[in-house]
This record gives sequence, structure tokens and C-alpha cells, in this order.
Amino acid sequence: MKKWIAMLLLSLMLVSTLAGCTPAATTPATEAPAAAEATEQAAATEAPAQDVNLSFFTGKVETIDLLDEIIAAYNAQSNGITVEQEYQADASNIIKIKFASDAVPDVMTTYEQEFVDQGKYLPLNDMSQWWDRLIPSMKESCTDLASGNQYRVCTNMTMAGFFYNKQMFADLGITPATTWEGFVANLEAIKAAYPDVDPWFIFGEAWHLGHLIEFFPQGYIKAKYGATAAKQAFLSNDSSILQWGSPDGAMATFAKNLVDLQQKGLINADVLTATSDNCIDAFVTGKAAMFSNGMWCLSGILEKNPDMADNIGFAPYPAMMADGVPVVLVAEDSGYSIYVDSPNKDAAVDFLTYLFSAENMKKYSEALGSPSAFTDVTADWAPASVVSGVSDAVKSATNIGFTNEKPAGFSGDDAGRLVQDLLAGTYTPEEFALAYEAAWNAGF
Amino acid sequence: MRHKRISWAQFLSLPALMLYGMFFVYPLLRGIGMSVTDWDGMGEATFVGLQNFIDFFHDARAMHDIKTTLIFALGSAVLLNVVGLCYALLMNSDFRGKSIARVVIYLPAIISPLIMGYIWFFLLQPGRGFLHYAFAQLGMTDIIGSWMSSYPSALLVLVLVNVWQFSGMTMIIYLAGLQSIPSEISEAALIDGASNWQRFWRVSVPMLMPAIRINVVTNIIGSLSVFDVIMSLTEGGPGYATESLSIYIMRMCYGSRTGYSTAVAMILFFIILIPVLVSMRFTRQKS
Repeated sequence: MKKWIAMLLLSLMLVSTLAGCTPAATTPATEAPAAAEATEQAAATEAPAQDVNLSFFTGKVETIDLLDEIIAAYNAQSNGITVEQEYQADASNIIKIKFASDAVPDVMTTYEQEFVDQGKYLPLNDMSQWWDRLIPSMKESCTDLASGNQYRVCTNMTMAGFFYNKQMFADLGITPATTWEGFVANLEAIKAAYPDVDPWFIFGEAWHLGHLIEFFPQGYIKAKYGATAAKQAFLSNDSSILQWGSPDGAMATFAKNLVDLQQKGLINADVLTATSDNCIDAFVTGKAAMFSNGMWCLSGILEKNPDMADNIGFAPYPAMMADGVPVVLVAEDSGYSIYVDSPNKDAAVDFLTYLFSAENMKKYSEALGSPSAFTDVTADWAPASVVSGVSDAVKSATNIGFTNEKPAGFSGDDAGRLVQDLLAGTYTPEEFALAYEAAWNAGF
Repeated sequence: MRHKRISWAQFLSLPALMLYGMFFVYPLLRGIGMSVTDWDGMGEATFVGLQNFIDFFHDARAMHDIKTTLIFALGSAVLLNVVGLCYALLMNSDFRGKSIARVVIYLPAIISPLIMGYIWFFLLQPGRGFLHYAFAQLGMTDIIGSWMSSYPSALLVLVLVNVWQFSGMTMIIYLAGLQSIPSEISEAALIDGASNWQRFWRVSVPMLMPAIRINVVTNIIGSLSVFDVIMSLTEGGPGYATESLSIYIMRMCYGSRTGYSTAVAMILFFIILIPVLVSMRFTRQKS
């Protein structure tokens, strides 16, 4: 008797274990014979998409609630497509696991050059219903340089530059600098007038320090050679243009300048341990005069101090090199891609068309706090004074985009960790430039 | 034809063996296969022989990470055992509030190291943390300093936080060992004129050998594979200064070097295995 009970329990365990390993089935649970069930499943695979469960993967925390709302409205249409949103804070890493384990979502907001190179995204060139509404420069930003295809559609634009305290600048009679010398003079003036204020607040998170490299040394190259030539140089690792390791190159100059500011006390002393929250706190309480970041931080500032809306200035990055120009990041934001082998491509297009409607994009833009990339969307994405400041900055400086063409084995965070080492005194500026070059080359 | 009948015990062990095979043996074999390829996690894998293992020993960052991991493990294992034993000796004596003290010491061990790391970061954050403010009130603003700005100080903080968290667990094992020592032995030593130190060193320590073995082995395994407390407290920084081998493996895996990272995981397995075998053999001889 005991043996029979044990046998029964073992069988139950085996069945439940193996059932857990099978892919999710959408067929209703019936007591049909096994052969009929197999035929049914095969038919379901071949049949046109009906009762489709569309998986949507995102790493954008700012839009979770709004997307839940939009998805609920979409699912309520009862068109046979049910969208399920999955949010992961560490989305860029988790998507790699999903690709490796063949559990790839149908639609995703994560976009990596290595996935493009491996043909993991569906080309979206024919989606004229989306492209006709998109700002041309944003379409260009969404275009893969190597293939000329578009593998994602961005819904928004984002800008990055210096946020500064307008009142503090006005009191001191200074204006945002366009040259590095002018920039340092401004920081020194702030330090002299307000000893307890950090003239430039930098926080030590790797992504932020990596962004400084994007905006300063890489920004210099993008502005000097133009977006396309710079992208090609990044993709082909053209050392004659990049010159990462050169002692007089953009990377070494950036490192020298940063260390110089640190030694002069013009950046916060706790640069290595300060967090982005500390930065926002310091800015809204008047303890920091300026900091570098993207538009995504605006909602955080206004949430902590709504009265600051009229006091937020926005300026381009000053020219760091003698032959450089001020730059401001104007880049695609919130890109949507479809998995190339998704069995639900039509459903994915249907959902994205719904999501990209002007009405939804207005709400999306306001939730994200950045202007829409669609020409037919007018949204109140920021207070009017900020919008006009951003507009002026964009017009006055060379617009650069993000460096998506980095080598797969050398991420922006990796670059940021090198900057941490620089600020911790591990490297001299020249050593830093060589270390960056070595890491970049190894990444290829 | 003869059928060999399996025993009742063998039959009942089948589910456990199946789970072991599914979740340990199979991944291990896959890992061994993966470690000799250049697989990037998505594309086709190409056989590269032992190149990943050779590359590892030529990677300065990896060598630094081994050093960091070993220092962390050595520092943690020694301190955890010393502090845990001291706590156990204290808890083996009689004093008021002993139960509360025992709970307080043990409590951190049941909290996730990741959460504990974040809590300690906000306590220790230079210039901003709670302890900075507390010491500033006492006029000692620089007592914490910028511990993250140098390798030794950042590593020391990591070891101390790890010891603070897990010494309660070590204490419990030592306490159980101390309480299992028959009081007659200690009393006999006392009658023979042994001092307190002699009774501890000559009687208690040899009788504690099984507890020492368990503690040393578990502490070495735990400390050599440390991941979460470092990620939450320093993220392996500044730069890669306090990066452990486990964090290196994770970053290599996500950095499109999945085959290589699996090879490093194999190396870490042997790095953990060697001191564990040595310490087990040593303590077995002693006991």
C-alpha cells in the first residue's frame, strides 16, 4: 500500500514538474483525448492571431501607471488581443536573459546595438502611419546606420544639459558659459559668493558619470565630425578620429578638466558617494548651483519643490576643447521595438498604433516630462519657463545624440566606473585616457 | 533475464535525485560546455578550448577581483569566528537581558544582505549619512571620512558590515557547541587547578571543533561568493576597486561574454572548493 501511495505521489510530482516546464498554452482546458488536443494546439499555432496574449517589456518606471491605464483601455476593446506589461528596473540586463532563454517579449522598450547587429528586431521601415507623424530628425535617430533600417519608433525626445539655479546666476550677474574657461570662471564666482554651495554637483552613480563622457569628450567628436561620421567612427573604431588615448585628445582633456575642478573644490566633495536623489535635494534646497542631467529629472525637481518651476535654467554644455562648440543632447527617447520572431507581429503593430495615437501620446509626454516626437501632439510636458529655456538652449548649441554605437562589451556604466577611478585618484588624466582606450578596444 | 530490484530507500530518493539532477547536475554540465565557447548569450557559440581560462589569468581586473575576494573572505571568516565565539561565550554566561541580547545579535542575519547594505550605506554615507550627523553633533565630523575614496577603507567597511550581519549566525552555532560540552569536564579541569584560559583553550576549544568546522566552512563559502552586500554598499566601486569575483562574473555575463563568465564561475568553484577541503581536513584532524 505504501509503495502505491509513494508511486502516486511521485507521479503527481513528475506531472506537475513537467507541466511547469511546458510553454504557456492558450487552449482551453478540456478533457479531450491526447491526439485531438495535439491537433488542436497545432491548429492554434497556424491559425491567424486570435485571443493573442501580447507580452510587452519595459524598463521605464515613469510610464508604468499610465501604460497600465492605456493597456486596460486597449484590452477593453475586446479585439482578441490582450497586452500584458512587464516592468523590470534592470531591464537592459534582464532582456539579455530573455533573449538567451528564448523567452523574448513581443514588444519591448529596450534597444541595444548588439541586438540590432544580430537581427533581433523587426524592421519597421514600412510603418508609414507612424513615420509620417514623426519629427524627421527623430526618425533619423531611430535609423540604424549600418543597415539603414528602423528597428524602433521613439515616442519622445529628451534633452540633456546643465540645469542651473536662475536666481543664483542673476544675483551674480553671470550667464551660462559657452567656453570651458568661462564655465570655470562661473563656478569660481559661485564658490566665492556662496561658500556653502556646490557650484557643480556630480553624483557618483556609474550611469551618470558615463553620461559625462557621452556629453563632453564624445560630444566633442559628434559635434566636430557630424552625427553620421561620428557614428561611423564609433562603429568602425576609427582611431584616427576617436583618439581616445591621446594625451591631447578629448578624453584626456575631459579627465584633466574634471580633476582640476575636483582639486579646486568646484564640485561636491562627496562626488563618489552622492546619489541622484542627493543631487536633486541639493538643487531644490539651493545647496547646488548646477548639475548635468536629462529632462527625466525634471519631474523629481518639481515634485520636491514645485515653487522652483520658474527658477530652473537649462543650458548647453560648454565647449571643452579649444576647437569645440557648445553642445546639447537632443535624442530619441522611449523607443518601441518588436521582436523579429514574434508570432504576434500584427497584434504588436495594432497595439503600438493604438499607443501612438495623439491622445495617448499627449498623456505619455506629460507623464514622461519630455516633448513628444510626434508632430501632431501638443503636450504640457514642463512648466512654460522651462520649455522656453530648453528651446533656447537647443537653438543655441550643436545638437548631439546618444552614442548607441558603443562596443557591446563596454557599456556606459563601465565608462562611468572608470571616471569613478579617476575621481578616486587611481588614474592620472593621461592614464585614464589610455585605460578608456584599452577598455573601448577590448569591448570590440 | 535478471531484473535488479531497487530498494525502498533508493526508490524514495528518486524525487530528490531528479531535482538535484535537474537543478544542479544539468546546469553544471551545461556550464562546463559553455565555458569552452565564446558564446555571447544570444548568437552562435564557437568552441574556443581553454582560451577563456587563459584569458582570465591575463586579465588584470580579474586578478584584482581575486585579491579583493580573498581579502574579504579571509577578513570576514576570521572576524566572524572570533566575534561569533566571543558572543557565544558571553551568551553562555548568566546576565540579565540575555534573551534580548541574543535576539538583537542574531536579528541582522535574517535580513537580506542587499537590504542591509542599503541601510548601512545610508548610515555611513560620507557627509550625509546618519552617523555623519551623529558624529558631527559630537564635534567629530571627520571620523567617518570619505571611506569610499580608497580601496582599503572601502574594503574594511564591507568586511565590518558583513561581520556585523552574520556574527549572530556564527554565535548560535558556537553557543550550541558550548552548551553541548558536559560540565563535568570543565569542573574536573577546575579541580585539577586549570585557569580560566586553560579551561577555554584546552577543554572548550577542542570540544568545539565540529562547530568550528561548520562555521569556518560556511563562512568561507559565503564570503568567497559574496555579491549582494558589495553591490548595495559600493557597487564594486570606486571603479572596480571592491568588485568581487561574483560581481565580475555577473558583469561579464551581461557584457556579452557569457562563455567567458561561465569559465570564471568554474574557476570560482575551485577557488571555493580548495580552502573548504583544506579547512575540513585540518579541523577533522584536530577533532
